[in-house]
Amino acid sequence: MHIPDGILPASVCLGGYAAAAVATWYSLRKIRQKEDPRAGIPKASLLTAAFFVASWIHIPVPPISVHLVLNGLLGAVLGYYAFPAILIGLFFQAVIFQHGGLTTLGVNAAVIGVPAILSYYLFQVRNLFGQDSRLGTGLCGFLAGAAGIGLAAVAVLTLLITTLPAHLDIEVERASIYALALAHVPLMVIEGVFTALVALFLLRVKPVLLED
Amino acid sequence: MRQLGQQSKTSCAGEPVLEVLALSFNYPDRPHVLQGVSLRVWAGERVGVIGPNGAGKTTLFLLICGVLRPASGKIYLFGRPVVPGEFLPEVGMVFQTPEDQIFCPAVKEDVAFGPRNLGLSKEEVEARVQEAFAITGIAELANRPPHHLSGGEKRLVAIAGVLAMRPRLVLYDEPTSNLDHRYRRRLINFLEAARETMLIASHDLEFILEVCNRVVLIDGGRIVANGNPREVMGDGALMDAHGLERPHSLIPHADPHH
Amino acid sequence: MKPRLDEYTDLDSPLHRWEPRAKLVSLMVLIFAFSFLRDLRLLPVMLAASGFLYFVSRLPLSFLLSRLRLPGFFLLVVAVLLPLCSGTTVLFEIGPLTVWKEGCLDLLLIGAKFVSILTAGIVLFGTTPLLTAVKAMRALGLPAILAEMTLLSYRYLYEIGGDLRCLERAMRLRGFRGRSLGSLSTLASLSGTILVRSYEQAEGVYKAMVLRGYGQEASFREEFQVRPQDLAGLLAVFLAAAGFVAAEICLQ
Repeated sequence: MHIPDGILPASVCLGGYAAAAVATWYSLRKIRQKEDPRAGIPKASLLTAAFFVASWIHIPVPPISVHLVLNGLLGAVLGYYAFPAILIGLFFQAVIFQHGGLTTLGVNAAVIGVPAILSYYLFQVRNLFGQDSRLGTGLCGFLAGAAGIGLAAVAVLTLLITTLPAHLDIEVERASIYALALAHVPLMVIEGVFTALVALFLLRVKPVLLED
Repeated sequence: MRQLGQQSKTSCAGEPVLEVLALSFNYPDRPHVLQGVSLRVWAGERVGVIGPNGAGKTTLFLLICGVLRPASGKIYLFGRPVVPGEFLPEVGMVFQTPEDQIFCPAVKEDVAFGPRNLGLSKEEVEARVQEAFAITGIAELANRPPHHLSGGEKRLVAIAGVLAMRPRLVLYDEPTSNLDHRYRRRLINFLEAARETMLIASHDLEFILEVCNRVVLIDGGRIVANGNPREVMGDGALMDAHGLERPHSLIPHADPHH
Repeated sequence: MKPRLDEYTDLDSPLHRWEPRAKLVSLMVLIFAFSFLRDLRLLPVMLAASGFLYFVSRLPLSFLLSRLRLPGFFLLVVAVLLPLCSGTTVLFEIGPLTVWKEGCLDLLLIGAKFVSILTAGIVLFGTTPLLTAVKAMRALGLPAILAEMTLLSYRYLYEIGGDLRCLERAMRLRGFRGRSLGSLSTLASLSGTILVRSYEQAEGVYKAMVLRGYGQEASFREEFQVRPQDLAGLLAVFLAAAGFVAAEICLQ
């Protein structure tokens, strides 16, 4: 899910870059406050690559298969590294895989990355259940995953519909936002369940990955 | 601990390159990884470190180069105590998986990484890189991205990256794993010509026999034998007791050659 | 999944020789000027400009076409939706479907901008090795953490991609089909395995990096040489971009 080049007006693209710059600044500041950011960089980098690879996995939703965005999971696992990771992932997508998106890199990073940061906070709620609680991890994993893609979808749709040079009337516009948002509900469920499953897997195999 | 043969044929005079005294180490989930290991290595020695899986060989190496902090005991390199976390350019370590070590997107960039961190000028870094390329014979790989290299090429690039820092002691962790015969032979010739002092951990005992002039057998976190490779590895009972096999070339032939 | 990005970066053309910082700034400004345009009369000029750039870069046409294919699907969707849904002036009707004039014009605008921006982007990153591009961005003020993360993830991207392929192959050999929703938990374990593996590898990578002095002040920064022709190129592209923007404003 990302907005391609050519649709959004230049002002929105520039605004997107500005928003991404602010989010990056915020994330980097939080990262530098940790005791040894040097040790975190290789881990965050390899996980960035791993998340990028994991998003290639086809998830069957009969009769079709979809790719997940995984921004909620990214937030849960990477914390403040999630935003830089998403920025880099989208950069690779634009540059290495040439899916385009150099003008919309900022917008897309903001739209996908800011919900990831929120998912991180949401996932931290699991600490109320105790760090090794399967119930807390599963539940918060689901919420983080569903909220991550849900917020991103709402943001993308709002942006598209308000800036498309469409000659639509307001009623139609509003109805189409609702309709498209509803269409994303099944995706939210799948992304939420998937995030919960991965979080439970990590809790069993390598719990340190979920720790703050 | 068994002492077999004389310590080493090379000079034992002067200060040892490496001195390990009563070294112990535990991982949080695995106690007694090393228990009271003591070892001296002199300049120019090529010491093989053998032992079953999980004996503590890699841990010993990581302690020597200051990545891990010992639970107790002391390590001296060139007469100075090792401070964990300190940058020690005199010691190089070649990791078991070259994948872990080569992290730059181009080979040349990777070999230059260490020299650049030494604070050398651009020209000196270039000279170091070319020197390391010449020693390992991989100049033609300079501009290749690492993920397109073969296993043998990756190993040589990893070695070049370490040698470019001109270490005086090099620790090789399983250098022959995943190498085909041609690259294994190339590595043996290369190591035999090298002048640095080295420690080589390996399960490839024939390789140790060819390259090393001393061997140390570790099991259960202790050194159980230390001495001439032919004598240590030729001792069938000793090798058996520690889950190892005598190298074929040291087994007296039961049925003589035709 | 092995798109070769650096396939044509060692060709020789004025764009390949252009100093990377100047090239990066110039082409990004041009791309943004493209995205600013809304007047249909400027579209042919824009398409010509990006076509000219591609011609000068000497990249093979097949490279461009192969790169346009995937995102082209998106264009197809827009091409179906916009003319049918948006507009006030009826162009013509096919049975129950109405084709609107405004929708068609919007499609033209979006399509042309999309192709031009993508072409300019391909010229930019098709003529510059990624390593060089990131170094140039670093020299232009990209934070060190971002630059380091970009290069490290790029380095391990293909490695981890290879891991995934191996795991998937092994799963298929043991009879996994992955066609129903029930396979979700298996696929979650697969993703989790990829994450755990790369995390564990990162621990080794970090150790190896520290041993070679990671975190020490590197002795010199990569410096780039700016020649007069680099600045001339910068100026020319800036003027072109300003021309596009000015024309757009005047024509409004």
